[in-house]
Amino acid sequence: MPRQDQYLPEVLYTPESRLRHPIQLFREMGRDFLASRDLAWRLMVRDISSQYRQSLLGIFWAFAPPIVSAIGLTLANNAQIVNIGETSIPYPAYVMFSMSLWQTYVEALNGPVQAVSAAKPMLAKINFPREALVLARLGQVFFNFGIKLILIVGLFLFFQIPVTPSVLLAPVALLHLIALGTAIGLWLTPISALYEDVTKGLTLVIGAWLFFTPVIYPQPTEGLFATLVRLNPVTPLLVTTRDLATQGIIADPQGFWIASGIAIIGLLVGWLVYRVTMPFVIERMSA
Amino acid sequence: MVKIPEYEVITPSLQPLGDNVLLSVQGVSKKFCRSLKRSLFYGLQDIATELTGSRRRSAKLRSKEFWALKDVSLELRRGEALGLIGVNGSGKTTLLRIISGLIKPDTGSIRIRGRVAPLIALGAGFSPVLTGRENIYANMSILGLTTREIDRRFDEVVEFAEIGEAIDAPVQSYSSGMAARLGFSCAIHTDPDILLIDEVLAVGDVKFRSKCERKLGELRKQGTSFVLVSHAFQGILNVCDTAAYLSKGHLIASGDANSILAQYEQDLFSIKSDRSSIPFVLPEKPAAESAGADLISVYFRDSQGKLIESPISGESTYFCVKCRAVRKINTLSLFLAIYQPTRDNCLALHMSSAYDRETFEVLPGEHELRVYMPCLGLLPSSYTMNVYIKDGSLYTMDAHESIRFTVQGNDKLNRGMFYQQREWQVLQSPPF
Repeated sequence: MPRQDQYLPEVLYTPESRLRHPIQLFREMGRDFLASRDLAWRLMVRDISSQYRQSLLGIFWAFAPPIVSAIGLTLANNAQIVNIGETSIPYPAYVMFSMSLWQTYVEALNGPVQAVSAAKPMLAKINFPREALVLARLGQVFFNFGIKLILIVGLFLFFQIPVTPSVLLAPVALLHLIALGTAIGLWLTPISALYEDVTKGLTLVIGAWLFFTPVIYPQPTEGLFATLVRLNPVTPLLVTTRDLATQGIIADPQGFWIASGIAIIGLLVGWLVYRVTMPFVIERMSA
Repeated sequence: MVKIPEYEVITPSLQPLGDNVLLSVQGVSKKFCRSLKRSLFYGLQDIATELTGSRRRSAKLRSKEFWALKDVSLELRRGEALGLIGVNGSGKTTLLRIISGLIKPDTGSIRIRGRVAPLIALGAGFSPVLTGRENIYANMSILGLTTREIDRRFDEVVEFAEIGEAIDAPVQSYSSGMAARLGFSCAIHTDPDILLIDEVLAVGDVKFRSKCERKLGELRKQGTSFVLVSHAFQGILNVCDTAAYLSKGHLIASGDANSILAQYEQDLFSIKSDRSSIPFVLPEKPAAESAGADLISVYFRDSQGKLIESPISGESTYFCVKCRAVRKINTLSLFLAIYQPTRDNCLALHMSSAYDRETFEVLPGEHELRVYMPCLGLLPSSYTMNVYIKDGSLYTMDAHESIRFTVQGNDKLNRGMFYQQREWQVLQSPPF
C-alpha cells in the first residue's frame, strides 16, 4: 500500500521547553486527550478485571471500609467515648456516606501517583499518550464510586432519608471534589516518581487530613478548629455534595465556588505540569 | 586546540524533510549522570526549568554527568533498514529512546514522519491474570491502535503468534516463548512506518525467529523502515543494508552495512592496532607454579615454515605452541579450541592431539608443539583461541584462554560456515 509521505503527521523533538510554544502544546494536549480515550478505557477494563479476577470477595472490599468505620464510630458515639454532636441524618448513615465521599477523594488524589508508579516499565519503553493513565484511574474512581453508590442507596432506603430534587445536582459537586483530588495528584506525580518520600508523606498527610474534614463529625461552627476546617478546600466540596444529596441546601455557596475554582484551575495546570515533566521523569527512573 | 564556542540550544530551521526521509536526527546529544542521588536532583532541576519555560543550559555538562550520546546525526528513508551497532553502553538504546520520544534530547533535534512502533519492550502492559485475548486488546491500544483497528487485525495477530486454543487462557500460564511471540505479533501488526527493534529478535525458537525475519522482510517490501539494534552480526546483515557504528556516544561511522561491520569487528578485537598480538607471548610463570610444562608463546607458520601474523583461509598452515618442559613428560598433548565472537562466540574448531591418539614423549627443555593443517578451513574473520597443554588427555599442565587472532582470506569468502577446499571440473560425455 503506497503511502503519501508528505501527508503523514510529522513530529519534532527538541531540547526546548515545550512551554515556549504554548499554542502547539495546547493543540497536542487536545489531540492526545482525544486519542487517549480508547486506551484509557482499555487500561481501565484491564485493571478492573484483573483486580476482580484475583479476588474472591470482589466488590465487598469497596463496601467494607465505610461499613467498618461506621460500626466502630457508632459504637463509640453511643458509648459516649467520643462526642460527635448532632448530625443532619442518622449517624451511621452520615459516617458511611461521608466516608464514601472521602474515599473517592483520596482515590482521586492517589490515582495519578499510583498510575505512574505502576506503569513505570511501560512508560519507560513505549510512547503512548500519558493522559491515558490518569483517565484510566479516573475511570476506576468512578467505577468504585458506582459500587459505593449501591451502599448509599441502600442506606437511604434503610434509614428512610428523604431526598429532594437537588440530589440531581450532587454529582456536580462530587465531580469538583474528584477534580480537586486529581489536581493535587497530578501536581505531585512528577516529584513522587523521582522521590519515594512523596508516597510516604502522602499516606501521613491523608491520615491527618481526614481529621480536618467534617467526615466523621458535623462541621464545627466556632473556635480555631472550625477555622482550620473551613480553610480546608475539601470541606466545602464534600459538605456541599452531602448537603445536596441529603438536605437540598448549600450551606456555604461562596466557599464551594472558591474551592471549585481552585479545583478546576488546579486540574488544568496540573495536567500541563504532568505532561511537560513526564519525559524528565522517565529519563531519571530508568536511566 | 581550538575551542568550540559554547552554544545555546538552537531552534532548528524547519525546512521540509528531503524526499522519502522518514526520520532525521540532527546533532543529537544526551547526557546522563552516574550518581543516582545527583541524577534525581538534576531531574528536579530540569523539571523546574522546563516549567518556568526558561532555557536549559543543556549543552553543558554538570558535575558527574557524561555524554551518553554526542552530536549524532542520521537519516532514514522509506524502506531503508539501518543497523545500530556498538558495544554495551555506546548509546544505541538511548538513541532509540530519543527517537521514540520517550526522553528529550539535550541538544539537536529529531523529526519523524509517520507512526513509530517500538519493538523495544515486547508485551508491554501484559497483565498476567488476563487472557491472551484481553491482553492483545490492551497491548495494541498502548501501541496506538483503536479498538476497531484491533478488531480487524485480531485473527492475524493470533495466527502469527501461533497461540491457538490458549488465546482464552491467562497469560501467566503461557510459556515465556508464547508470551514473547504474542508480544512480537502485537507489535508487528500495528502497521508502523518506522519500526524500532532493540535486540528482541532473539525470542522464541528458530522456527519462529525465521518467521519473524520473513515478516520483517515483507514489511520492508511494503515500505516500512527499520532501525535495528543488535550485537549479532548475522542479524544485522540479514536485515540491514546500512549501518551506523556508535562508540561511547559518538557516531564513528555510517554507511554500507558490510564495511561498517568490518570496521566494528576490527575495533572490537583491536587487531589492527595491536600488531604484536601474534606471536602471542605468554607471561613467564615462576618455577614453583609449574605443573610440569609451561606455555611460552603461540604463533602460526605457513607451509614453508615461515612465521606469519595471520593465517589465510585455504592455505596449509601450522598452529604452533612453544612450551618448556621442566621434567620428562611421557604423553604431552595439545588442545586447541577456537571460538568465533562474531557468531555468538560459537565453537568454530576443536582439536586435540590426545583425542587423535597422538601424544609425545619429551625431555626437559623447550619444544614447539604444532598441528599441521593442509588446508585451513576457518573463514576470514576474528577468532579467539584457548590453548591447553596436557599430560595425557586429562591432566592440564598449562593453559591460556582467549588469544585473539584473525584469519585473512584471498577472496571475500565470509559466507557459510567454513572454507571448503575444492576444484571445479567439467567432464566430457559422462559415462552414465
